[in-house]
Amino acid sequence: MTTLEATEAQTDEPAARHDATVDDPDAASPAKKLATRIMYGLVGLTLVYGFIFTPKVRSTVILAVAAVGITGGLWVGANLLFDQATKRWAAFNAARFGLSAFAVTGIISGNRLTNDGGDGGFFANLISWSWLPLAIGALVAAVGFVLSGLTNNTQRIGLGAVGFGVAGAIIGALLVPSVRPDIDIIATLGWTLGVAALGAAISSVRKRPPARGAMVASAFGWTIGAFGVPHLGSGSIGWAIFATAVPAAIIGARIGLAPAADRTARNEVDKRSRPFIFIGPAIMFLMMMLVIPAIRTLYLSLFGRDSEDFVWFENYVETFTDSTSLDLSGFWDAFFNWPMRIGLVLVVIFVVVGKKMKTRTGKWVELGSPSMGPLVLGIVFLAFAFFTTTRGTIINNLWWVVVVTLVSTSLGLAVAVLADGAQFEKAAKSLIFMPMAISLVGASVIWRFMYVARDSSKEQTGVLNALWVGLGRLSTGRGVAATLLVFVLALGAFAMVLNAIGKKKWTRALATIVIAPCALWAVAWGWAQLDGSAQRIIMGAFITACFAGLAIAMYKALGRQEYGSAVVPGGAGLLLGWFLIRYWGIIGSGVGGFETNTAGNIVSSPINFIQESPYNNVFLMIVLIWIQTGFAMVILSAAIQSVPDEILEAARVDGATASQVFWRVTLPQIAPTIGVVVTTIIVLVMKVYDVVKVMTNSNFGTQVLANDMFNQAFNARNTGRGAALAMLIFISVMPIMVGNIRRMQKEN
Amino acid sequence: MSDTTLDQSTTPNGNPKRNGGVVSRFMDGFRAIPRVMLWFIVAVWATPTIGLFISGWRTRDDQRSSGWWTGLNPFNWTFDNYDTVFGASASGSLGDSLLNSFAITIPATIIPIAVATFAAYGFAWIDFKGRKTMFIATVALLAIPLQVALIPLLQLYVGGAHLSMPFIDKTITIFPDLGLVNTTTAVWIAHCGFALPFAIFLLHNYISGLPKDLFEAARIDGADHFTIFWRLVLPLSVPVLAAFAIFQFLWTWNDFLIANTFAGTNPEARPTTILIANLAGDFGRNEHLLPAAGFVQAFFPIVVFFALQRFFVRGLLAGSVKG
Repeated sequence: MTTLEATEAQTDEPAARHDATVDDPDAASPAKKLATRIMYGLVGLTLVYGFIFTPKVRSTVILAVAAVGITGGLWVGANLLFDQATKRWAAFNAARFGLSAFAVTGIISGNRLTNDGGDGGFFANLISWSWLPLAIGALVAAVGFVLSGLTNNTQRIGLGAVGFGVAGAIIGALLVPSVRPDIDIIATLGWTLGVAALGAAISSVRKRPPARGAMVASAFGWTIGAFGVPHLGSGSIGWAIFATAVPAAIIGARIGLAPAADRTARNEVDKRSRPFIFIGPAIMFLMMMLVIPAIRTLYLSLFGRDSEDFVWFENYVETFTDSTSLDLSGFWDAFFNWPMRIGLVLVVIFVVVGKKMKTRTGKWVELGSPSMGPLVLGIVFLAFAFFTTTRGTIINNLWWVVVVTLVSTSLGLAVAVLADGAQFEKAAKSLIFMPMAISLVGASVIWRFMYVARDSSKEQTGVLNALWVGLGRLSTGRGVAATLLVFVLALGAFAMVLNAIGKKKWTRALATIVIAPCALWAVAWGWAQLDGSAQRIIMGAFITACFAGLAIAMYKALGRQEYGSAVVPGGAGLLLGWFLIRYWGIIGSGVGGFETNTAGNIVSSPINFIQESPYNNVFLMIVLIWIQTGFAMVILSAAIQSVPDEILEAARVDGATASQVFWRVTLPQIAPTIGVVVTTIIVLVMKVYDVVKVMTNSNFGTQVLANDMFNQAFNARNTGRGAALAMLIFISVMPIMVGNIRRMQKEN
Repeated sequence: MSDTTLDQSTTPNGNPKRNGGVVSRFMDGFRAIPRVMLWFIVAVWATPTIGLFISGWRTRDDQRSSGWWTGLNPFNWTFDNYDTVFGASASGSLGDSLLNSFAITIPATIIPIAVATFAAYGFAWIDFKGRKTMFIATVALLAIPLQVALIPLLQLYVGGAHLSMPFIDKTITIFPDLGLVNTTTAVWIAHCGFALPFAIFLLHNYISGLPKDLFEAARIDGADHFTIFWRLVLPLSVPVLAAFAIFQFLWTWNDFLIANTFAGTNPEARPTTILIANLAGDFGRNEHLLPAAGFVQAFFPIVVFFALQRFFVRGLLAGSVKG
């Protein structure tokens, strides 16, 4: 409400009565006040400038302040200028005319079409460039000033024609010899009349007086006829003056023809200017930065590498026929590789479990935690099947889209559900969301350190390879294998602490925190005393026991027909079972990063995550997943919390289990939000660039469209191909974006 | 993923609570799974960043011979890497590129906000012909990925814009070659343009939702558009302005593509992201400096993020459809 008061304060009475923020007694023009404030700010900064000594800091501050100040100043200035339309018409008119004339003459003079001083350093150039626009501007401003006071129509037309004509003549007299036209009178008149007729026609179609349209058009026609038809440079100075003075005089007469502005007309100017002032800057930026460049890119994409030969759609065709961007030769292999088999098994599990779960909903297969897990994993594996056998830039992009979108969204949803109402929910969410704040470049650097692979003779310094090699040592049952055991025990202790805190049993939590490290140390110490084979047997027994536990858990859950509880131990049991088989040497030996060398010794064998094609693509995708999961989580978490409690309560009263409530009530409610998340991530992934650039610089078969576009356009200097790739990115995200925009329009 | 609701499904509604028995107790342990899983994921998500942070404090030799998890003792940490990255070196000083980042980020955050707020107000509360069409056209520009604009914009920066006249054998310069290429100015001007469709959309949603009575009352009191904008709209829009400001700050600070296109080859003008990407490019030689540099680069956005998380989430929720 303070703002409303502030508005009232301006019109009702002096601001003295109101609070200190409304401090300006001359409240009629906040624009003027703002201008004063900006001035003070600039003066202050000039003072500060004297005290900042590092040139780099100084230039940074100057750049930032100048940019912001100039933009703000221009805008406030425009507001102030058009405020004068209703207050001081003559001054406004003068300014309006003067600025327009300055701009037009500026373009002519800036293109060195007029005589000037030539090259004499920056300031000399500036003066030689700007004196003519300034002079013409002043002349036209004076004409505008006088015009605004005249009411007699004849006088107006006369003054307009003479004033503008003189300005035109001056420009004509100063034109450089090389553009002086040798006027062909007949052709010039022909052009003038022709274009004038066109202008008259347009005016009458728009239901305006045709004579005025004809006048403006004839000025254009004259210019085209005078400068376009004859050879330039062979004319005399007289012809040049004639060529420029006539159209200027016509424009002047046209301006004089309009009746002198009365109160209504001035208000109209004020009213009409506001949309331009408010929206103009944005339109200007958008035109310059987006619209015109986009059109030009489309144009360039139809030309060859130097933008000289028109090649129709060759660039596009090349993109699809080049084997580095699309290589489908391995397509049929996709049906026989391991990811395909695993994916198919998972899809079958999805169907079987879904059918089994089917209760009353009457759907073909029931969606629920036990069935969706296999489905999502299955789709990921099927994607792997196709995208590891068919290769190329386009394939890589599709692969990115499928994996990153699917995994980030489902992981984000999972975390949102897991964290909902959990202890320290905020902290957990913040930590998962934090990568959103880190740049893609930074994230890529971070993950490069995770993926470091060092020679097998050295210690692994990357977390993932250290774990992988550690797992290898563990699974062969040799060496110190306490890592996993300690890890499992530590996880158990951690769970106990969390559990105790959850039940608010603080002493128990504290006791666990104290006892657990001692126990871990004791276990590790005791473990180190055992010899290799004993460790191997104990380890094996432990894992076997875990496996048995999982099997029993699954069996029990199946007996109770609780499929959700069955699938998790089932899945974990499968993995552990595979590990056991390898561990006891039933099939092959061991899992993890190791190999047996010729001497029979076991040496570590790290994975070169970012160089082994095609799976290195997946490790690049993980970087983006790491970032986007937080995004999906935040959005979905908000959606989940906004599901009305009454609906959930009603479902629970009807006897739905928590799982059923989630899959049948919450999920349909948040489905539109999931759509938003999915589309947003797809668009983002289509444009992925930074990760590939930093991690592999598009080597090792990791090229993607955006990176290819950059390389083609700016490194290989193949503008046409680069533009075509840019258009391809545009075309591929457009349908999704259009859908998104329509949805957003509907929401508002 | 599949066991998100496991804790509840092991004790389904209405079933008597199972007591006693080793197996049952074992089963009860499963109820902790969601919590354990959540914190497991959190731990996995935090590990890479923690690793980067710790590596930054370790010497080159330490980083090369052992994993960061062996260097947790803070008494062995060193400032060497930070000293080196801030000092002038062949690959440029991090201090200078931080300043460049600020020189890009500050105008690229403030100017689009200002321009977009003007436009949003114009579209929402000034009556003029073709308002709706123009607004829809502006929002439709969200669909244009910025890649499409890169090549022509670079050409504009390198040589200006010229129009060849159809009859006379002359080209007229519309936009002179100001030598913008490889300056921070080129980068932030581009950012300003690319940010606008989203900014206008976001701010328009908010500003057009302000109560109509307020504007009518102000107009009856004789306030013109500028006054209403300055005294009424700006103060009322602070939350959404803050949301967009944070969003835009993070976006420009973390941007690599635009900066690399327009200022990538000039060591004097490149922001932190390019410095780090270049460090990562010199395989091996400067690898030990990366953690320190990366941490400094991520420091500012992380501080902004944690301090103003509420606004940031709001900005994200409002529609994360940035081109």
